[in-house]
Amino acid sequence: MAERKSIEETKTALHDVVREMYDRIVKGEPPTMTLPVRTKNNIGFDPKLGVYKYGKKQTIRDATSLGSAKQLLRALHVIEFIESMINDGKSSTLREMYYISEGWGLGKFQSQNESNNLAEDLEIVTRCLREDFKLRPEEDGARMIGNLTLRERNRRGEWMRINARDDVGDSGYGVPYNVEAEKIEFLEHDINFIMAIETGGMFDRLVENGFDEDFNCALLHLKGQPARSTRRIMKRMSEEWDLPVVVFLDGDPWSFRIFASIAYGAIKTAHISEYLATPTSTYLGITADDILAYDLPSDDLSKKDIEALNAELSDPRFADGWWQEQINMMLEVGKKAEQQSLAKYGLDFVTETYLPEKLQQLGL
Amino acid sequence: MAANQKQVAISEFFEKNKHFLGFDTLNRALITAVKEAVDNALDACEEARILPDIVVKITKLDNKKDILQLEVEDNGPGIPRASIEKVFGQLLFGSRFHAIRQSRGQQGIGITGVVMYSQLTTGDPTHVESKIAKEATAVSVDIGLDTRKNKAIKSNQDRIDWGEKAHGLKVKTKMKAKYQRGRQSVWQYLRMTSIVNPHADILFIDPDGEKHHWQRVTERLPSRVEAIKPHPNGIELGQLQRLCSESSESRMTTFLRRTFSGVSGRAAKELCEVSELEEKLKPKSLNPQQVRALLEAFQGERLLKGKPVKLLNPPTSCLSPIEELLIKKGLSKTIDSKFVTTMTRAPSVTQGNPFQVEVGLIFGDGMAADKPVEILRFANRVPLMYQQGGCLLTKAIESVDWRQYGLDQAGGRGVPKGPAAILVHLASTNVQFTSEAKEALSDNETVMEEARKAMLEMGRGLRKHLEKQKKMGKTKEKFELINDIIPAIAEKSAALLELPVPDLAGSITRIMSAVIAETTTTWNKETKQTDVHIAFYNYTSRARSYTMLVNWPERQGATMVGNELGGRKEAMGVWAWKLETLQPGSRTVITYSLDGLEKGDWNETDVFYRGSQEVIGATKMDEKLLEEIRRQEEALNAPPPDEDADEEGDAEIAPEPEPAETKPTTPVGDPKQTTLFGGDY
Repeated sequence: MAERKSIEETKTALHDVVREMYDRIVKGEPPTMTLPVRTKNNIGFDPKLGVYKYGKKQTIRDATSLGSAKQLLRALHVIEFIESMINDGKSSTLREMYYISEGWGLGKFQSQNESNNLAEDLEIVTRCLREDFKLRPEEDGARMIGNLTLRERNRRGEWMRINARDDVGDSGYGVPYNVEAEKIEFLEHDINFIMAIETGGMFDRLVENGFDEDFNCALLHLKGQPARSTRRIMKRMSEEWDLPVVVFLDGDPWSFRIFASIAYGAIKTAHISEYLATPTSTYLGITADDILAYDLPSDDLSKKDIEALNAELSDPRFADGWWQEQINMMLEVGKKAEQQSLAKYGLDFVTETYLPEKLQQLGL
Repeated sequence: MAANQKQVAISEFFEKNKHFLGFDTLNRALITAVKEAVDNALDACEEARILPDIVVKITKLDNKKDILQLEVEDNGPGIPRASIEKVFGQLLFGSRFHAIRQSRGQQGIGITGVVMYSQLTTGDPTHVESKIAKEATAVSVDIGLDTRKNKAIKSNQDRIDWGEKAHGLKVKTKMKAKYQRGRQSVWQYLRMTSIVNPHADILFIDPDGEKHHWQRVTERLPSRVEAIKPHPNGIELGQLQRLCSESSESRMTTFLRRTFSGVSGRAAKELCEVSELEEKLKPKSLNPQQVRALLEAFQGERLLKGKPVKLLNPPTSCLSPIEELLIKKGLSKTIDSKFVTTMTRAPSVTQGNPFQVEVGLIFGDGMAADKPVEILRFANRVPLMYQQGGCLLTKAIESVDWRQYGLDQAGGRGVPKGPAAILVHLASTNVQFTSEAKEALSDNETVMEEARKAMLEMGRGLRKHLEKQKKMGKTKEKFELINDIIPAIAEKSAALLELPVPDLAGSITRIMSAVIAETTTTWNKETKQTDVHIAFYNYTSRARSYTMLVNWPERQGATMVGNELGGRKEAMGVWAWKLETLQPGSRTVITYSLDGLEKGDWNETDVFYRGSQEVIGATKMDEKLLEEIRRQEEALNAPPPDEDADEEGDAEIAPEPEPAETKPTTPVGDPKQTTLFGGDY
């Protein structure tokens, strides 16, 4: 499924969506759009792909209420817009599309969230990627530092060879929004693993301390919930170079979710999990037991934190024993801790003590 | 020396009592002065049956010393030259001090207090101009006070030409005072006054020269109130003694019937019997024990066959409620919001004093949604601006769980929050205040209960309005769906597929599968009529047949014109049309206009239906409710009970406020209320 579609395939897939609405009207029924349920209740593990995918539950969006009817109309406008971009050889950002929708009258979007969601809906129904739709995210890609070399095709269409340690400044190599083969090729590397890091502060700390060179790894700054291109580049590097990925996050319920989206696939993008998720990645920390073992400065869990943890207990992605234990432990302790709380023991503690100990446990 | 002492004494009197005289702060002194002058103007106009035009002007004279000038001018009957000094220069002068009826001021420090305050703070007299209709010129005079003799000192008396103006009064006075804005301000006082005096035109020119104009919204003056005789339940011993000793009647029974209200011939006899007084006894000759016995009989402490003597309620002609329609107008002109519900309760009695509670609620945009509602309290048409928390009327509002009626209220108690203002008016012959400041009403269970009932009734009106709005919103959405969105989907999908645009009828019927009524009620500026337009759409696959009904303000004197579909009168204020066949996909329209109303009188029309299939935008007719309307109509058309019959002593009219025989069989609100459909008039 996650193969790139040709222009004709994309158009046909989009027309099928339109056809469903049209045919229903001809039959004297309200127009509809059928799509999978996009909640945690409808994701299941796909053993073949090793990631979580949408299940069989379908929802029919029909035009019997004003809200859904407007959604259908918007979908038609978006399809028309995509077609015109395909025909003209243009592309636009999701945000640009949101502003362009100002001219769509009744089909105009009320918020950018709506337009992003609809683009995803269309991806799911048509089994295309938004790259096929010529829609780009606004989102900020990750930064990366480490001894690896790739080539990227620049604006002028020329390939540029870049070493992500020697050819970049302290902020590292900036991952572009498109990391597909037509844009990026991996050339060579001298690293043993990739470490994905949640916060910029911790990324900079590891860079300053020369962690990447001491431990022969690539450091990747996730910037919170990682963008699609960030997850995609991790997936490609891990797969093409056969490298393990370790994920170093804050110790709170939201970090657990970030990890789940990296390792198993996000609920919102479960239709392309096999394309974005890296099932071989490992959660390094901060774990609930780290908070106790290292006696880290911590904050009490908020009401929202507790709700999130409880929701995770029933999330199929966290069904395994280790996760259940971690979540329950965090609920029991009632505490959460940030990555940077390790600084309690000095600036070098993280690189000299904590990470070596944790990596050793993982056998790296 | 003596004069000096007296001067000191009167200043001291003022100083010590300035709380209840209303002059305790510089801001309040100004409000009180305005209040005394405006109340007088309104009362004088009302008595002379003149529609009041009142102009209030405040000018700053000396900023540093807080000296202001207040001018109040009215078009009232004016005061004859000889009376001016009494009205302005004598404490406790007033004709209404003893009369039992509803009046604005109930005791008389009044305007004299203003003259005194002015003199004490500035040393200057108050300038008065007065013209009465039968004199060609106006009197102009300065009034000061001789505090020693409780008498006015006149100076600069003159006659001046007022030109066109036939009669009126102008008062100009200087005082130490502060002009402030906000909830306790002259502006707020006048605004509130204009709400409960919709017949008055009030112009206010503030110290910055800004004009605030509250226009007259009705030509109808408040009904004339009659003074009534005291009722036995409200009598005190001293008063009864005085009434007996001053009586020239020769028989107790005649005395009781003629001196008191609510005493029938039979009751007079029974009162004598239980108090062991001979009927032919002369009232003058009663000894103190006998008077006491009579008082005990009055208060139901002496029983006849185990029961207190039955007394009739006092007549309520002594009350002058504002009435629902006028409260509505008053609120609407002051606060710009579309929905107003009002309720005037039937008069009731507490301790022999007739009283009547009126409430009004205005709801909508234009008011803050996250703040406590504005509370507008009034006693006998006089705004109450201070001590809100301690007032019975506020407590009545707080005792209602407003959450069930669509307002926010933490814990279901206290002042609710929301874009609304609540008006409460108590009209009574004897308003009981918590203190001499006369700003808060004291607790009284009967009054509280009446006020609460009125609030609940009004709350139901609000809830109905909000539900209706929600329903209308849904109907509107459905129309947008089928009129705009579905056609757009059809066109766009056809265009993308390069196919012909499909027919929509089938889809639309499936989506709506209902009959829909769309109603608008709008004021037509040109014809001065209220136009009602009701469109019925049959979006089902079958032909339908209905009887459609509407409510309309027939009782308020409206007439229905231009009703081409005819129909018939179903009951008072309820009109019906039989719609034999609504074909699938068809539209039928009923239009008519209401004549004889003013703008804002009728903003919403309720539509009802009889038939099996639901009509979106209309309510299924409650036949029991309709029956109730017919019953009330009959009751209203029945001849009123004859006063003389009471005198015969054989009429058996129970004094309970709610006679059992008029109780409705279904809980459709209070049986004594004439407001149907939840008080939306």
